Amino acid sequence: MSVQAFRLLCASGRQHLPTGIQIECLECSGHDLYLGTSDGFIYHLLLVEEHNSDPTGLSLTHQGDCPNTTFSTTPQRQKQLGLKKAVRELRAASAMSRLLVLCDNTIFLLSSESLEPVPGAKIRGALSFTLNENPVNGDPFSVEVCLISSKRRTVQIFSVGQEKVQLLKEVATPEQPCALAADGHYLCLALSNHYITMNYNTGHCQDLFPYPSEQKTPIVKRISRQEFLLAGPGGLGMFATVAGISQRAPVRWSENVIGAAVSFPYVLALDEEFIMVHSMLDQQQKQTLAFKEGIILQDFEGRVIAATGNGVYVLLPLPLEKQIQDLLSSQRVEEALILAKGARQNIPKEKFQVMYRRILQQAGFIQFAQLQFLEAKELFRTSHLDIRELISLYPLLLPSSSSFIRMHPPLHEYADLNQLTRGDQEKVTKCKNFLMSYLSEIRSTEVANGHQEDVDTALLKLYAESDHESLLDLLVSDNACDLVDSVSWLERHKKYFALGLLYHYNKQDAAALEVWVRIANGDLEDNTRPDLYEYVVDFLTFCRDPQLVWQYADWVLQKSEQVGVQIFTKRSSDVQLHNSFNPDKIIDHLSKYHKALIMYLEHLVLGKRIQKEKYHTHLAVLYVEEVLHLKSMNTSEQTEETGLRTRLQNLLRQSNLYRVLLLIDKIKGTDLHLERALLHGKLEEHDQALNILVHVVKDCSAAESYCVWNSQGRDTPYRQRLFQLLLSSYLSPPCTDNALLVAAVDLLNNHPTEFDAANILHVLPENWSVQLMAPFLAGAMREHIHALRMTQLAVGLAKAENFIYKQQKLSMKGKPVVLSDKKLCHVCRNPFQEPVFVRLLSGHIVHTHCATNMHVNSSLSDNLPNTSKRT
Amino acid sequence: MKKPDLKVVLLGDMNVGKTSLLHRYMERRFQETVSTVGGAFYLKQWGPYNISIWDTAGRERFHGLGSMYCRAASAVILTYDVSSMQSLLELEDRFLTLTDTVSDDCVYAVVGNKVDLTDVAGDEDSATALGTPTKIRRQVQLEDALAFYKKIIKTKMLDETSVPPAEKLCFETSAKTGYNVDTLFEGVFSMVVPLIKKQDGQEDTVNLEQSNSHKETKKGCC
Repeated sequence: MSVQAFRLLCASGRQHLPTGIQIECLECSGHDLYLGTSDGFIYHLLLVEEHNSDPTGLSLTHQGDCPNTTFSTTPQRQKQLGLKKAVRELRAASAMSRLLVLCDNTIFLLSSESLEPVPGAKIRGALSFTLNENPVNGDPFSVEVCLISSKRRTVQIFSVGQEKVQLLKEVATPEQPCALAADGHYLCLALSNHYITMNYNTGHCQDLFPYPSEQKTPIVKRISRQEFLLAGPGGLGMFATVAGISQRAPVRWSENVIGAAVSFPYVLALDEEFIMVHSMLDQQQKQTLAFKEGIILQDFEGRVIAATGNGVYVLLPLPLEKQIQDLLSSQRVEEALILAKGARQNIPKEKFQVMYRRILQQAGFIQFAQLQFLEAKELFRTSHLDIRELISLYPLLLPSSSSFIRMHPPLHEYADLNQLTRGDQEKVTKCKNFLMSYLSEIRSTEVANGHQEDVDTALLKLYAESDHESLLDLLVSDNACDLVDSVSWLERHKKYFALGLLYHYNKQDAAALEVWVRIANGDLEDNTRPDLYEYVVDFLTFCRDPQLVWQYADWVLQKSEQVGVQIFTKRSSDVQLHNSFNPDKIIDHLSKYHKALIMYLEHLVLGKRIQKEKYHTHLAVLYVEEVLHLKSMNTSEQTEETGLRTRLQNLLRQSNLYRVLLLIDKIKGTDLHLERALLHGKLEEHDQALNILVHVVKDCSAAESYCVWNSQGRDTPYRQRLFQLLLSSYLSPPCTDNALLVAAVDLLNNHPTEFDAANILHVLPENWSVQLMAPFLAGAMREHIHALRMTQLAVGLAKAENFIYKQQKLSMKGKPVVLSDKKLCHVCRNPFQEPVFVRLLSGHIVHTHCATNMHVNSSLSDNLPNTSKRT
Repeated sequence: MKKPDLKVVLLGDMNVGKTSLLHRYMERRFQETVSTVGGAFYLKQWGPYNISIWDTAGRERFHGLGSMYCRAASAVILTYDVSSMQSLLELEDRFLTLTDTVSDDCVYAVVGNKVDLTDVAGDEDSATALGTPTKIRRQVQLEDALAFYKKIIKTKMLDETSVPPAEKLCFETSAKTGYNVDTLFEGVFSMVVPLIKKQDGQEDTVNLEQSNSHKETKKGCC
């Protein structure tokens, strides 16, 4: 498929020319059209462009198309140069109101108005000429004419003013040239079988490339600064710079090209049957126009004109925007973009940016519709597409509150995604996945700026719909989801947990909890979180709204006391909330929930180490009650009971705050003997405690460890007293139980050092053999001797120390101090008036008042000698 | 249009696979191509540089265009077909003369394409022993290419010590399988890119920023 880049419009038919007369050459400058004919005539015609407004008014929709532009010509003057020879070339120098005419190897200078020759101003001996469109000499009142001289192998450069001509330069060429073009100092020449560029200032030549000499006419055409278009071998249109480098790939013409013209970004070429249009941007042929018997194709100040022997035609370019739109509507995105980029230089910057942006966006939607998401994304990104244009393609994604209206004229032809995919669900899913990833990518970037709500709401809907895990991430992070819209959407897709998160994010914790509790109770179905109950507990733990916490406290506790109590135990202490969550209130509330209450009290007593008798006693009493309760159940749960008892015992041992008597009362008559022993121990009733341990519990090791930990931090006699009590407890009743005796012996033998051996020996039964007691006795002896020696050692050391001090004291005293009239105070250098003096550590003697001063001024002590000298 | 910083030209007889090599490198795939008319070129973004790669027509009738394409080229990739000795000879006879217009420090690379059609490189005997019928007998060995490369250096009267060694610039590739294609282009690019900096030195445009900084440093000296 091709583009319509030009329309061929007839400007002048055969009506202006006599029959049998051919157009040889033409020139167009503004509205002035000059024709040179085979019989030596020059015709001046006025080229009129008319835009007929369409009477039906339909043209409004095709403003850029100009379908009704027409051209017509009205004859002005005509002139015969009187040579009966064909006019070869015509060039207008409009700034000087002159027309240059080549006829019969002579260039005539004519007034462009009257067509009368300027007398005396002519150049003889020219085979062909061209105007340098980029003359080095920028004089506006002259033109630079470059011509092929009729002298062999010569080109000449003339300066042509209004009234006169002046030869500037004559340069020899390597071969006879047959066609030329000029730019700056450079000429591009077609020689007999190859092209060259030549610097006419230096005469330096640069070979370009050969062309087949059988080719009828070489074509040399300047197309832009320092660049020429040349007809090359094999029907190629070659581009070459003055330096002899090709910067563009060649275009493919037919073999017999007669003429070429440029109308950016296109090059046009004429052969016997067609006008071919190629893009300079991608070298592709874009359009072919049938045009028979053409002899001339030239561009004049941007206007392309073609002519046959007797007719003149204008090639009207269609506006680039229209061309681009045509390409886009035929889905040729790549070409459209190349054309748009190529048009950059020809369109004002502001206008271009707006246009180009729109083209990119349109292209993006075309790629999108073809599910070319990567390309589409890139186009959307570079064109800063209002993301809502894309979102609005998806039904129901934009929040109902959104004020978005699609751009007009629309960027694409699709009403929505269903139309675009024709209901193909697989494609719909792909599109949705694309939007999902795209939105999540841009939501935190500036692309989403200002449309945060629309973007986030759309993303939420997509996530919810597709059961995407990022839904929760979206809701727990910063988001701008529209609440009303999102709530109904989440409800519709049964994303109740997410709904709760949404409420929470929008500071509606009560609503959030209500939803979650309903899920946990099974009223709503949502399996997002199997551990929802724990989640709610956690949520309440960190909830700063006391009312809510109290509202749901019963619910969580009823579900699980152990877990539920965390809302109180794990709560971080907060001064502001202290009143709402003071321990007494909580304990009061937890009275129904025994286990929870125990855990809470443990939290207070053991965790936070609150030293209040009330809590300690309460906890101990609860332990006891619970243990007794478990015992009464008399069931299998042995482990729970043991665990609980251990906790009770630990509390009883470690705490000193609880009310011992109350507890003794509580456990009276129960078999909590160990506990009772502990309680007695607390009351310093160690004999009772040990009796219980030895005779009731019959646990010797417990009794021993009782002694050990009760005497911890106490002095040795206390410890010895405890052990002695234990021993007597073993021995006290008429000692019939052999086991107790063995225990007593073991106790003695294993802990010989814990006893005051001298006292013990009196207590022991007389019938015990020494052999039996041997380890004890040996141990006790050893201990005694050790103690004796240690004491002696200590005494010795103390004595030694004492000696040292004495020696120091003596050395301090030293010799007697003799006070006489000759003795002067060390400080003030005055004699002593009284017998009282102070002796310094250094041995110097001073007045008492000097000593006090010295003490006060100790910091000045360094200056003392000076002071003394002065006095 | 972005102005290319460098020019790389592919030369070689018709049908050795110049267009296919370039297509494989640029588009990452192999495609049956038609005979190139005149020439074509691609722009390759290589780091901060734009490199234009010219694909020339191998056909005799377009031969005249070659020297223009080669003018001021920084690298010439001379391509032959490993299954055709003639294609290597053509390089010497016909294409080497086109490179008279290249830039002074031009890099030459010699590339044998279509190795996929023949047996394993340099292992002729084993392949014939296996007798794989689809494989064509290789006519050009890598040594031939190395010798040709040395000849280029000699005829261009380049200093053998200053040019890269032959082993680094003789490649055997397959546009069809993609074998060695990236190595070829990227190897050549990495050798020509340093030349850009040299060219910058001779730049005739006045760089205002640079001249300013010169002034400033002078002030500092005083």
